[in-house]
Amino acid sequence: MNGHADGPDLSAYLDGALAPEPRARVELHMASCADCRAELDSLRHLKLALSAAPRRNMPADLALALERRFVTGAQPWYAALSRKRVWVPAGALAVAAMTVSLWLRSAATIEEIPLEPLLAAHARYSAEALVPEDNLVASNYSDQLSDLSDASESDLQ
Amino acid sequence: MDRMEPQAFADLLRQAGDKAYNFAYRLAGNEQDARDLVQEAFARALEHAGSYDPSRAFDSWLLKILHNIFLDGARRLAYRRTVSLDAPAPVEDSSWEDILPAKDISAADELIRRESIDMVQLALERLPAHYKAAVVLCDVEGLSYDDIARIMDVPVGTIRSRIHQGRLLARKAYEELERSGGRRQ
Ligand SMILES: [Zn+2]
Repeated sequence: MNGHADGPDLSAYLDGALAPEPRARVELHMASCADCRAELDSLRHLKLALSAAPRRNMPADLALALERRFVTGAQPWYAALSRKRVWVPAGALAVAAMTVSLWLRSAATIEEIPLEPLLAAHARYSAEALVPEDNLVASNYSDQLSDLSDASESDLQ
Repeated sequence: MDRMEPQAFADLLRQAGDKAYNFAYRLAGNEQDARDLVQEAFARALEHAGSYDPSRAFDSWLLKILHNIFLDGARRLAYRRTVSLDAPAPVEDSSWEDILPAKDISAADELIRRESIDMVQLALERLPAHYKAAVVLCDVEGLSYDDIARIMDVPVGTIRSRIHQGRLLARKAYEELERSGGRRQ
């Protein structure tokens, strides 16, 4: 290294991508060169600001579109998320989209996602015909659930 | 193979879905092109599943395919606006508070920092595609130089210089934005 540290070396140093020998050389040079320390500092701030970019996660509807296009068979792929196969009503798209969204946005492992209770509850409500099959839109669903709980409260009075 | 078992597909999506979409969005600069890129990348990946080396990470392989599709598109000028200097760049809500808790930062300082981050993001949008891809993969995705070299299909030495040049260009663009005192020129 004649004069100052090589630019790409400074970037690689910042990224932890420099082999031990060139790294030692860069460190030795920086110990006595305020200019290179300042340049490294500037690059570090830039890297920090770049890495603060908001991440764009895959939209749930895109995940569903991919699933429809690339997965074999009629069974929805989200059913495969649960170990124990549970029956999923065909109209469960809204619930599935919610689940996909939760799942895509969390770093959690599959085991940590409370999918089974969700689907089981869904299956139970559908089986008991509390919710008409063709009406399983998320908002309707929760409206009807709250209607039902209101109704049962007034029944008790 | 162009269709998969549900469990296998769920695994792929979990491993690579967000990464692919975020990379696509950064490259293309808008949601519709990002969606098209991701769909096409999955289609080609499954179509050419036979050439996938299972000892390599699937996400890197998918990003490589996605990058190639983007470059093909860029060559055909389909994504001309992303490499154009007067491209309108999306301004996103960056959550600076989430990244560095503002305990020791006054509200004014925080505002300045936040605006700086937005301007750095704008500067990133303005980079030519090769530099932008290298910088995004390094600084946004946090990938190693080796992985980036594999994805972009060039030697590691080229990646080293693209990352550094990309940062210098981003810094220059940032300084220009700051001088002009505005978000758009
Ligand atoms: Zn120096």
